[in-house]
Amino acid sequence: MATREIISTGNELSAIAAVDAGCEFFGGYPLTPSSEVMHVISDLLPAAGGAAIQMEDEIAGICCVIGASMTGVRALTATSGPGVSLKAENLGLAQMAEVPLVLVNVMRGGPSTGLPTRVSQGDVLQAKNPSHGDYKSITLCAGTLAECYTEVVRAFNLADRFMQPVIVLTDETLGHMHGKAILPTLEEVKAGIKLRKQFDGAPEDYFPYECEPDQPAVLNSMFKGYRYHFTGLHHDKNGFPTEEINTCRKLIQRLEDKVELHRDELELNEEFMLDDLEENDVLIIAYGSVSLAVKEAIADLRKQGIKAGLFRPITLWPSPAERIKHFTDKIKNVLVVELNIKQYTAEVERVSSRLDLEGLYKVNGRPIAPHEIVAKVKEVF
Amino acid sequence: MSLIKAPENTPVWVDTARCKACDICVAVCPAGVLSMKAEPTSTLGAMISIVALEDCIGCNDCELNCPDFAIYVADKKTDNIKFAKLTDESKARAAAIVENNYRLPENYGK
Amino acid sequence: MAYNYDKYLRLEKMPTLWCWGCGDGVILKATIRAIEKMGWKQDDVCVISGIGCSGRFSSYVDFNTIHTTHGRTVAYATGVKLANPDKHVICVGGDGDALAIGGNHTIHACRRNIDINFIVINNFIYGLTNSQTSPTTPQGMWTVSQKAGNIDPTFDACELAIASGASFVGRETMLDPKKLERLLVKGFEHRGFSFFDVMSNCHINLGRKNKMVSAMDNLNWIDSITTPKSKYDKLSPEEQLNMFPTGVLKHDTEVREYCDMYQDIKDVHQGKRAKITQDDFEKKI
Repeated sequence: MATREIISTGNELSAIAAVDAGCEFFGGYPLTPSSEVMHVISDLLPAAGGAAIQMEDEIAGICCVIGASMTGVRALTATSGPGVSLKAENLGLAQMAEVPLVLVNVMRGGPSTGLPTRVSQGDVLQAKNPSHGDYKSITLCAGTLAECYTEVVRAFNLADRFMQPVIVLTDETLGHMHGKAILPTLEEVKAGIKLRKQFDGAPEDYFPYECEPDQPAVLNSMFKGYRYHFTGLHHDKNGFPTEEINTCRKLIQRLEDKVELHRDELELNEEFMLDDLEENDVLIIAYGSVSLAVKEAIADLRKQGIKAGLFRPITLWPSPAERIKHFTDKIKNVLVVELNIKQYTAEVERVSSRLDLEGLYKVNGRPIAPHEIVAKVKEVF
Repeated sequence: MSLIKAPENTPVWVDTARCKACDICVAVCPAGVLSMKAEPTSTLGAMISIVALEDCIGCNDCELNCPDFAIYVADKKTDNIKFAKLTDESKARAAAIVENNYRLPENYGK
Repeated sequence: MAYNYDKYLRLEKMPTLWCWGCGDGVILKATIRAIEKMGWKQDDVCVISGIGCSGRFSSYVDFNTIHTTHGRTVAYATGVKLANPDKHVICVGGDGDALAIGGNHTIHACRRNIDINFIVINNFIYGLTNSQTSPTTPQGMWTVSQKAGNIDPTFDACELAIASGASFVGRETMLDPKKLERLLVKGFEHRGFSFFDVMSNCHINLGRKNKMVSAMDNLNWIDSITTPKSKYDKLSPEEQLNMFPTGVLKHDTEVREYCDMYQDIKDVHQGKRAKITQDDFEKKI
C-alpha cells in the first residue's frame, strides 16, 4: 500500500487530517496545548475555500461548529480539558439533535487549570459523559504521531455515520511531539470519505428523525429545499418538540442503540505482541502516548526474559469489552498504565470482572518512562 | 403577501377557533366595531364578537395587533369593499366598550 | 388586508402556545411580513431561536429552523452564516437569552458586524420560567427571584449593541406593528449586524404582580417609557432617564461586514491578493 511521509507535530497533523477529510469549517478558542491545531487550520481552511474562526470563548467555539455542521458541512473544533468542560452543554445538544462534528481534545494536566503545558490522560471519563443525560459517547484515542492524523480522518467518517460528536483524544506529548508520520496517501483518504446520508425523495415525504430503532437520523443539508427543525428538546420525527411518552422513550433508546448495537463498526485496537502470551505472562493495557513507552518497556522486558504484550484500545468508548475480557480471562498478570488515577482501569475491571488488576498511575504532568514500567512489572509480578 | 378573500360584503371577520380573548383588538379598534362576549367554553371564558360590522373603517389595526391570526380585514380593492368613515358615534361606542372592560355595555344605544 | 401567512407557517403547530395577548405573536407576524417584503426564498432563510417563550418562535415558521441552548443563538448563527455567507440568518432571543447568559455572544457578534439579524424580544422579565429578574427588569418591580423588590440595575440594550460595533441598531415596540415591520425591513436590507430591541408585553409574568394585569395595561406602560428618537433627543437628561428612544438609532453603511472581510482572508491564502495590513483599515486601533 502506498504511503506518504509528513514530518510534523501531532497538532499540525490533526489539522491537516481534518482538511484532507473534507472539513470545511473550524470554530474554536485558544487553549494550551491545543492552540496549534487552530493556528494551522486557520491557514489551511481558507486556502481550501473553507472558513475558520476564533470565537470569543470555548462555548461559542462549539456552538458555531454545531451551527455550521447543521447546514451540512464537516466541522471541527480543538481544545483541552477545561474547554470540554465549557462545551459540555452544547455537546449535549449535538448528541440530542444528532449533529456530527469532531472535537480534538489535546489532554493536559487537570482538574481545573491544572498543568496547561504538561501531559495527562485525565479526560478519559469526561469523554464518556461530557454532558448530562443519556447518550453514548464515541471517543477515539491517538497513540502515535500518525494516529493524530488517521484518527481524525476516522472520526469524521464515524461522526457522519453515527450522526453525533466524536471526540479524538490526543495529549500534550503527542500534540507537541515533532517527528515523522507515515500516513495513507491523500488519494486513499479521499477515497475513504463517507459523507452523512441524505434523503433524496420529495420534501413532503421527508422525516429527518424517523428511522430504524438502531439507526441515526438522516439530516439533509440546510438550504437545499428540505426545511425542518433542530432542537435540544425531546422531539418527534419532524424535529418538533414533544413530550409524548412513547416518542420520548424511543428517541433516547435510539440514541443509545444506534451506537451500542453497532460497536463492531467502532472497535479498533492494537494487539502488540500478544500472540505468544500465556497464563503467567504479563498483559499491559494502555492507550495514547503512554503506549509508546509501554512498547519500549515490552522490548526491554522480553530481553530480560519476561514475556509481555500490550493491548491498546484505540476506540476508548464504547470500550472493546469482549476483546479485553478475552485477554484478561487468559492472562493472570494484568497491569494498566495510565496518566490518571484509574479512569480506564475502572472500565477494565467492569468488563473483566476482575478486581486484582495492578496499576501504574502518574498524575504529576510528566510522561511515564519505559524504565518505570519495567520496574513496576518486576515489582508486582 | 397573498391575501385571503373576504366573505361577501364583510369588512372584518374573526376565526373564533384561534382567538385567545386577549382584548387587544377591541382595545385598538377606533370605531367600536369589536367587543368581547361571554363564552364559557373558551379561553378566559370570553370570545371576540363583531358588534358593529357596518362601522368598520378598514384601518387594519385589529389585524396587525392580533397575536394569533384570529381576525382579518378585507382589502378595499380586491374584495370590492366600501369601508365606513369614522364618526363620533363610533368613537363614543369604542370608548364605552373599553370603559366596560372591553365589553359592549348591555342595552347600549337603546 | 387579510394577509395570508399560511405559506410561512407550520400550520400543524398552530395555535401558538403563547399566552393570550403575548407580543411574540405580533412580532412573528411582523417578521413574516418583513421577510415577504425582502422577497427571500424560504429555503434560503434560517431562523434560530434561544430558550424562553421567544424560543418557540422558530418552531412556528416554515424556514430552516434551529432551537438552540440558552443564550447561544448568535454563536450558532455565526457558524451557519460563515459557512453559507449568501443565505439569510435571523436570530430571535429574549432579554435574558440575549443580554444575560448570551451577553458575551451578543457583544462579539456586534463587534464582528457579521450579517445576521438579531431580534431581541425584550419583555423585561424571564417569562417562560415564571418571572425571574432579567437585565432589563426595572428596579423596584416585583420578581419571583426578588420578591422584596428588584434591586438589579438595568442597561440599555441598544447602547450595548452600538458600543459593541453593530452597524444597524433599532428599537420598536408592540404598539405599532407597521413601524416594527418597517424597521425590520431596513435592518434585513442592511448588510452587517442588525440589532433590534423589540419591547414587548408580558402581562402574565411581569405585569400581573406589577399592576399591569392586562395586555393593554402592559402595552400602555411600554408606550409611556418610549418615544421616537427625534423627540427623545430634545428631552432633558432627567426626562431621558426614564425613556427609551425608538426608531433607527444607528445605521452605518460604510463599515465592512465580517463575511466580506473573511473573503479577503480566503483571497490572501489563495494567492489572489497581498496580506491584509493596517493600511486596509480606517480604524487603526
